[in-house]
Amino acid sequence: MTTPRARAVLLPAACAFALAFAAAPAAPARRDAPPARGASPAPAIEEHLLANGMKLVLVPRHLSPTVAGAWVARVGSANERPGITGISHLFEHMMFKGTHVIGTRDYEKDVRLIEQQEALQDSIRAELSALRAAQRRGELDDMTKPESKTPRMRELEKRFDGLVAEQRANMVKNEFNTVLQRNGATGINAFTNNDMTVYFETVPANRLELWFWMEADRLRNRVFREFYSERDVVYEERRLRTESTPTGKFAESFDAVFWDASPYAWPVVGWPSDVASITRAQADEYYALYYQPQNLTAVLVGDFDPKAALALAERYLGAIPPGARPAPEMITMESRSLAEKRFHGEAETNPAATVRWHTVAFTHRDAPVLEIVDGLLTGPAGRLRRSLVLKQGVATSARAAHEPLKYEGSFEITAEAKEGRTPEEVEQAIYGEVERLKSEPVGADELQAAKNRYLTAAYRQLNSNFLIGLRYAVSEGRGDLHGAERIEAAVQGVTSEDVQRVAQAYFTKEGRAVAIWTRKGGGAEDPELAALPPPARERARAGLARIRAASDPEKLQQMLDMFDQMGAQMPPEAKPAIEYLRGKAQARLRELSTPKP
Amino acid sequence: MNDTNRWFRGAAGASLLLLLALPAVAADAPPPARPEQLRFPELRYAPPRAADCRVLLKGGIPAYLVPDHSTPLVTIHVLMRVGPDLAPAGKEGLPAMAMNLLTRGGTKTRTAQQVEDRASALGAQLESDLGSGGGGMFGLGGVPIGPACSRATLNLLAKDVDEGLALLVECLKGPAFEDERVKLRREQELQQMKQRNDESAAIEEREWGFLMRGGSHWTNRWTTRSSIEGITREDLVAFARRYVGPKNFVLAVSGEFDRATIARKLEAAFANWPVPGVNPGPPAAPAEPSAAGWYLVDKDVNQGRVSIGLRALDRFDPDYQAARVMNDILGGGGFSSRLTNRIRSDEGLAYSVRSVFEGGLYYPDPWRIQFQSKVRSVAFAIQIALAEVRRMRDSLVSAQELEVAKSKFIEGFPAQFETANAVAGGLAVEELTGRYQKDPDYYNEYRDRVRAVSAADIQRVARRLLDPARLAVLMVGNAKDILTGDPKRDAQITTLAGGDPKHMPLRDPMTMKPMP
Repeated sequence: MTTPRARAVLLPAACAFALAFAAAPAAPARRDAPPARGASPAPAIEEHLLANGMKLVLVPRHLSPTVAGAWVARVGSANERPGITGISHLFEHMMFKGTHVIGTRDYEKDVRLIEQQEALQDSIRAELSALRAAQRRGELDDMTKPESKTPRMRELEKRFDGLVAEQRANMVKNEFNTVLQRNGATGINAFTNNDMTVYFETVPANRLELWFWMEADRLRNRVFREFYSERDVVYEERRLRTESTPTGKFAESFDAVFWDASPYAWPVVGWPSDVASITRAQADEYYALYYQPQNLTAVLVGDFDPKAALALAERYLGAIPPGARPAPEMITMESRSLAEKRFHGEAETNPAATVRWHTVAFTHRDAPVLEIVDGLLTGPAGRLRRSLVLKQGVATSARAAHEPLKYEGSFEITAEAKEGRTPEEVEQAIYGEVERLKSEPVGADELQAAKNRYLTAAYRQLNSNFLIGLRYAVSEGRGDLHGAERIEAAVQGVTSEDVQRVAQAYFTKEGRAVAIWTRKGGGAEDPELAALPPPARERARAGLARIRAASDPEKLQQMLDMFDQMGAQMPPEAKPAIEYLRGKAQARLRELSTPKP
Repeated sequence: MNDTNRWFRGAAGASLLLLLALPAVAADAPPPARPEQLRFPELRYAPPRAADCRVLLKGGIPAYLVPDHSTPLVTIHVLMRVGPDLAPAGKEGLPAMAMNLLTRGGTKTRTAQQVEDRASALGAQLESDLGSGGGGMFGLGGVPIGPACSRATLNLLAKDVDEGLALLVECLKGPAFEDERVKLRREQELQQMKQRNDESAAIEEREWGFLMRGGSHWTNRWTTRSSIEGITREDLVAFARRYVGPKNFVLAVSGEFDRATIARKLEAAFANWPVPGVNPGPPAAPAEPSAAGWYLVDKDVNQGRVSIGLRALDRFDPDYQAARVMNDILGGGGFSSRLTNRIRSDEGLAYSVRSVFEGGLYYPDPWRIQFQSKVRSVAFAIQIALAEVRRMRDSLVSAQELEVAKSKFIEGFPAQFETANAVAGGLAVEELTGRYQKDPDYYNEYRDRVRAVSAADIQRVARRLLDPARLAVLMVGNAKDILTGDPKRDAQITTLAGGDPKHMPLRDPMTMKPMP
């Protein structure tokens, strides 16, 4: 399997959609039960509700003269609908485009130009609509190709580009970031996932008021300049992460297979057709619903005096007018799965198997138990490595991940097949371990070790201002500000019976989707080939590629004759490779001689 | 040894100063109309100094000790100058395998499984690897050791530090390299090798390395199936005996401890090492100049990856800071940089666009523009990037650009040392890679050196370094579409390049020989 390599996000405010915080502690036990004192490593925090309904979390921490500031909008791709998928993430980009005063030389002129652009975009949308209809009729193979554009479309685009040039002359480019950077802000960025959108940066401690000024200003006075070129940027982000990676599109498709009713079925970055068509009016409407103060929580961690910070918060953030009505609730619930789903991905990747089960939401009482199950399976001493990799030798690597999101959850195990073993064998080996969880009680030492690992992992998440801010923002985004500490407390009380019960409840055949990954154009390596000594194997592999590529029976017959001659002349140790190739060439010849139906 | 750390004391001092200086906020007064009208109290910040954190343990091992009482954890990094350059010919991959298995292959008295079980029971992280350490997501938690060094790391609860330290030292003193684990590591390496042509990013990175440092350089001596299969347990044992010893160690230790106590513990644990270890000195510089010209690798993906650049200078060069500021304005500064403004914001051609200039740790490393754009707009984006390179040479940067770039480095400086691990690791790497010895005042003088950079310096450095005739342009993506370009734009690769780019074949992933 190709795993996405962690890349440092060097481009500030670039925004990574669907950032996964794999080790983020998660999930409370019961909403009514306060976390046991001392059972969670959480630092002391202050919670405030500002006059307009916005929440504020303060975590004073005087280790370095910096403050990490973040705010979370409780909106993600789960709040979208077909036609506007990807809008939450596009929004995140647009929030860096300035305000009435930031990013413009003349705001009145700006407004005029934006209205003119919108009028032109209406005409462009009519053209796009016609292209879409033409593609549906089969008259166009791909409406997004430059060659597909109609003459009218080109003309409209030209006029639009003229307006953009005029707007650009009136803009102060990327001033939001520049003001912050000039004042020593670092890590200016944001991310969107299924449940939330989080914005953050770290400022020098003496610039805390600047953080409030900038964030309150963009929440109150944002202007969506460069809306349409930013849509193109988002599409490039989709190409970068999804379309031009070996398994990106497959992973997206597997998600869509896994979820039936839940809006988790669509990608955070949005379906290509939707990303390209979102309008500014849709964006404005979405903003009014989900970016009102009642739907936001700010988190500050670092070197500040809480009293002074609260006063600044009231003055800046508290002055934003509240929304007229609460953000609508996301209603749709995943229905109970009736049948196992299977997915065969032939991609540029090593053969592997992925099994994913439906589990529970972040706030569910079973979430802490699933964290422990994850811990039992993963890591250097985890069961997957011990069994699949070391004992059975069926895989070269294996990992599990529990992902409890705001509305639903999933548990996934992935293992990469060892050379000569098949993904199907790997899949069976995964089930072997899952059955063990169901049928055998976990030993006391093993269970305690998993709890200890969970505790130290939780402490590691408290290593820096930024990580602490992230912990609270993500917990809040998943539906419970105190979710992380609740689960940390609950994890320590998980019993062997809990593990068995939860494994039996969720790891069912009908509750799972299975992805079998094979290499495009390759398939799993033949065990016979894998058994050959290294130098001979290399030559045999090259020969095999020639045999597979051959489409002329006559050429294959010549190859077979050549193998016969070679077999007679070669030293005994080379014979197995020749025999192997002979067999393959004969099979290929049979294949070519069989008439196609 | 004094338990109070000057750095943290300084930080607390800064905090107090702020508290007193923050103006009382009148809740009813309207906020100022522009952020420039805000007034900030002064922030006095003294960067960490090696002298305040460094201890020379008996036995000659330098150790950087930075207490942090915010969580009950301790992190111990053992840093070593062990890089891929130390592999004997035909044994490429030996250093990485040896480093990986130091903590994963058992010891003289414990099997690999026993070591893992014990670490697991303690909830500890015990790991070792070559060349990692950029710092994970958002640069937190790692140690920036670079590609020619290695580290073994222990992270666990402070109450368990004695047992954990003993375990770590046992792994380093007598790694057993169990056959089963060597075999597994070999299989894992081979599996990873098979993926070498799967991602366009990996292809770009590899070919860029060849263009910039030449095929003979150690960074381009890739593992092959035969080199990996040829590595024996005896090779691993001999390699570890040679390089894993006190003369090749620098320690970075942070967390819940007092300095005197942890120093005593480290001294005891690292005493009586069976072999002294060899520090091999700096790795060799490339022997040939970087390649110039236009290069294209055909890979069927709809987004082209582009690298443009050349080998520039190292971090000891007198122009180093001027080059950093220049690069920041050109493409290193995210949304305040010209390339981002033009290619991303104006034209919507790329999500990620940047120029990177880090200065070589040991010898001049590449300066590089990097972006990804849909295949049809690759030519247009390159045209813009090259125009920005020329502009940097042809005219002075504006006073505002200069001011933004410099204050970013100056005001953002404290964030570099936000955590105790960042302080201990950052300072230890300075010694490991030699700047502590050559330029001990680097951090102390850092802000003044940045302040001294002028617009004229920037233009001079741009003219010195960014020679268009010496640039290499590498493109990876669907070659046909890249060459076709976008009919809306007046930019073609063949016109820009003055002919066809050189088509570079993919390499066989297991032999690294170019494929026909």
